[in-house]
Amino acid sequence: MLTKRLLLLIPLVLVLFLLQSFFWVPTYESQSVGNPGRLRTYIEASIGDAKILNPILNADAASSNIVSRVFEGLLDLDENLNLRGRLATEWSITEGAYLLVNPHHRFPDGHEVTGPQLFQRITQALKAGLIQEMPGMTRPPELLPAGQRMEKVSIVLLDEQGKPRIVEIPLRVEVPERVAFYLTQVDQDLFNRLTPVLGERYFEHFPYEEFIHPQETVDQEVEASLKKKYPEILPAGEHNPTILFRLRQGVKFHDGHVFDAGDVKFTYESIMNPKNLSPRTPDFEPIKHVEILDPFTVRIVYKRLYSPAINAWTMGILPEHLLNEAALTLEKEKRGLSEEAQKTFGMRESQFNRHPIGSGTFQFIEWQGDEFIHLRRFEDYWEGPAQYQDFYMRIIPELFTQEVEFRTGAVDLYGAQPHQVNRYKNDPTYQWFSSLAFAYTYIGYNNRKPLFAEPMIRTALGMAINVDEIIEYLVYGEGERTTGPYPKNTEWYDPSIQPLPYDPQGARDILESAGWKMNADGWLEKNGKIFEFNLITNNGNPIRKNLMTIAQNAWKKIGVKANTQVFEWAVFLNDFVNTGDFDAVVLGWGMTIDPDLYQIWHSSQAGPQQLNFVGYNNPRVDEIIVRIRQEYDRDRQEQLTHELHRLIHEDQPYTFLYAPLSTRVLDKKIVLVEEGPDGQEEYKKIFPIKSGDITFYFHKWRKLEFTPNF
Amino acid sequence: MWNFIIRNVAQRLILLVIVSFLAHSFIHLAPGEPSEVDPMNPRMKPEDIAKIRAAFHLDDPLYMQYVYWVRDLATGELKSFKDSQPVLPKIWDRFLNSLPLFILATILIWTWAFPTGIYGAVHRGGAYDRLTVFSSYALISVPGFFLSFLAILWVVGWFGVPVISIKTFGMEHAEPIYQAMDRVWHLVIPSIMAAIGGIAILSRYVRSQMLEVLGQDYVRTARAKGLKEDTVIYGHALGNALLPFVTMFGLLLPGLIGGSVIFEQIFAWPGLGRLAFEAILARDFPIIMTLNFIVAVLTLLGTLLSDILYAVVDPRIRLH
Repeated sequence: MLTKRLLLLIPLVLVLFLLQSFFWVPTYESQSVGNPGRLRTYIEASIGDAKILNPILNADAASSNIVSRVFEGLLDLDENLNLRGRLATEWSITEGAYLLVNPHHRFPDGHEVTGPQLFQRITQALKAGLIQEMPGMTRPPELLPAGQRMEKVSIVLLDEQGKPRIVEIPLRVEVPERVAFYLTQVDQDLFNRLTPVLGERYFEHFPYEEFIHPQETVDQEVEASLKKKYPEILPAGEHNPTILFRLRQGVKFHDGHVFDAGDVKFTYESIMNPKNLSPRTPDFEPIKHVEILDPFTVRIVYKRLYSPAINAWTMGILPEHLLNEAALTLEKEKRGLSEEAQKTFGMRESQFNRHPIGSGTFQFIEWQGDEFIHLRRFEDYWEGPAQYQDFYMRIIPELFTQEVEFRTGAVDLYGAQPHQVNRYKNDPTYQWFSSLAFAYTYIGYNNRKPLFAEPMIRTALGMAINVDEIIEYLVYGEGERTTGPYPKNTEWYDPSIQPLPYDPQGARDILESAGWKMNADGWLEKNGKIFEFNLITNNGNPIRKNLMTIAQNAWKKIGVKANTQVFEWAVFLNDFVNTGDFDAVVLGWGMTIDPDLYQIWHSSQAGPQQLNFVGYNNPRVDEIIVRIRQEYDRDRQEQLTHELHRLIHEDQPYTFLYAPLSTRVLDKKIVLVEEGPDGQEEYKKIFPIKSGDITFYFHKWRKLEFTPNF
Repeated sequence: MWNFIIRNVAQRLILLVIVSFLAHSFIHLAPGEPSEVDPMNPRMKPEDIAKIRAAFHLDDPLYMQYVYWVRDLATGELKSFKDSQPVLPKIWDRFLNSLPLFILATILIWTWAFPTGIYGAVHRGGAYDRLTVFSSYALISVPGFFLSFLAILWVVGWFGVPVISIKTFGMEHAEPIYQAMDRVWHLVIPSIMAAIGGIAILSRYVRSQMLEVLGQDYVRTARAKGLKEDTVIYGHALGNALLPFVTMFGLLLPGLIGGSVIFEQIFAWPGLGRLAFEAILARDFPIIMTLNFIVAVLTLLGTLLSDILYAVVDPRIRLH
């Protein structure tokens, strides 16, 4: 019967055909057999796909990974996390500062303040040595005449539903006479040093209304917000830190176009263009203007003291000729978009974001959505081409799948999970690297709640938890104790600060001295209320969930009752964290090398939707945080960060638990290739730099055909 | 017949509008925001977030957002929140990736389910029948993703070959035949995994249909005529047992999107299912809405198709 035979034959033939394909596929050992190109190809895996390949628009890890290879910034960080010139060869930071005449103020001798008087008194005081030494002042001050300027200010008002209303107000600003100071180094205390001349409270009660004149009538709400902005529009004492960059000559973009100062200015302007909705605006907003002095020199003048601003120049520089108004108009017309789309067309809509052209070590070849991004080395890179010919970032959403691909040789790097680390450490096929991640895990207490108001109480709660055991059993030893708000592998962290001891008896003593007495049920009680609160965390992170249980149990032992609950991330953020409506949370922070902790610890950042959601408030800490972001000297910054670290440690607004280690596993055949003086290749073992990053020398990496012995 | 089709299409169009409107409301009811708005970025000010939200119309009333969506979809201007890429070309690319997996899995299901089911029905109660009944229930009960993980571990552990994604990486310079076979190999495991559950279920249907038909009078008559057993089964019985399966063909269509989410996710297959899954995680409303709309269209089209097919193959049914 034909039907019967067909019914049996077709599935069999089909399956045999499918299975024979197995014999054509390479295995781990035979990766390069008949396919030598594999040795010059590096394949990485990423959980998520990139979103937008543009250094001023991207905000996710996968995009940043690609963007950092395709684009290059003026600066980057070297092995020791110091700034290093890339597209810039040198840079210097100087300061221009301006002191306005305050006509309502009187000098200590009762004399009225006028321009010539002010100038004369300052010059005399400097000569007579009445004013403390002015560091970096190599030029005498100048008196600048009064002037006038027109400008527009936009004010964002939020209505009850949180919807924004943007109001633009034209202003006429009369700038009074002012004394200008020129310094070769930034001095945040400049105006304080003038107190002997100016007398106290020169800057309070500056009559802004007399100098700033709105050109339109505005309603009360707008007026109130506008008035708050006056000190920004016309600061009575203005610091203008200035960076002068000398740019590298002869650098080319991947399309052969030569890089120059115009690209730097363009990149800045693109970030500040409101149409582009760049997430980088906060880093560049303090810039007053960018001046091109010559094709390879740029001067950046800042509106105010903000030392982290220089780090922003590690961001990749865009090629102006491909994205300027003319190029975008051309693209818009070529693509035949609808009228509606033409109107909103901007850099965000450009095809450039999917076919980026930069000046980095690798040039973009292809992007297959949710599959891979392919880069190839840039032969004309100014430091010479990389060893690897091709770079792939594969998108593999499952960690399990990533590991499987790693073990078949279809991925070169794998980030081992804590429980897998031991297995890989003992496997001779692979090389592994463990280092501290820029992150820590903590229990945050809502400092606003009376229960947690006292640092002593928070310390006692921290002492009840055995963190060493958590590290050993919960994260399989892949973590280190941390005592404060900075990453342990930066200079900002003070290693001399000792973690809280594990001392449940001591914790009980502290609580008892605060009036908490053990009741008959075994709970601490004060004024008829037991010590009880809710500890919450987000769903989807098993380690945090376990931490919660461990803390609950540890506290139970000292008579503290914690009720635990897990919420979905969006609910967790919107209903509890952002509104400040919680008792205690288990969470973690990921950090950068920036010493600026304003958003997380300054008391002004404790409102709804802000990051100081625990409501930490310590005036001395606020002061130091502001000083840190205004300090341009690294050593002084370090002193301040150590003090900040100590103060926060003493206050224990969080119980700092541990900083996780991250472990990366590589094929042992991948090595560092160094060219010896005689052109001979030398192979070296890959090593991590101070920050724990192993890819710092990535351009020297290559895969060998054999496993080398080191 | 034409009357029937026109009336049905009209009904389904109305249904489509209702379904898409409901879906739109449900999606927006779910907690969470498009991830382009990154609330944990410490440098993001409330004003910046507000501006981005305004650009995506996130603060407009729901019905206005629906109108925007319909308008943008109709003009082809609809863009993903995630990467600002037009939605329709994106879906089309992914559709082309999903298609081979879907076709191969479907072919495997239909070619394997019939022999398995028929043999079981003919030798009812025998060792083979009991074995297939047991294994079908086992395969239906074990989740597909679990079996997939086991299969991946087994193949990788024993044979050391890549099985993930649509091809092996780093093979761009190899001979074309190697590359072609490599692509076939990468189809094998995910399509078998996607087919196993289908085979188990469909072979059960085939078995019970065959059993029912084999008990019919005309089969007894055929046997009484002295026809060969094979002729009775494959000539007389099979044709009639097939009737209900014709209608199932129409219902296959929506499976194009929904059927493979898990397998595409596990095997890192850049297809439609994964697109949908990732869009949901990122709250990428335009993509979710459009895919949902396409599923609705395919489902309605599928049911229409099966109604018509039924009338075509079964002369007892007339459409009015």
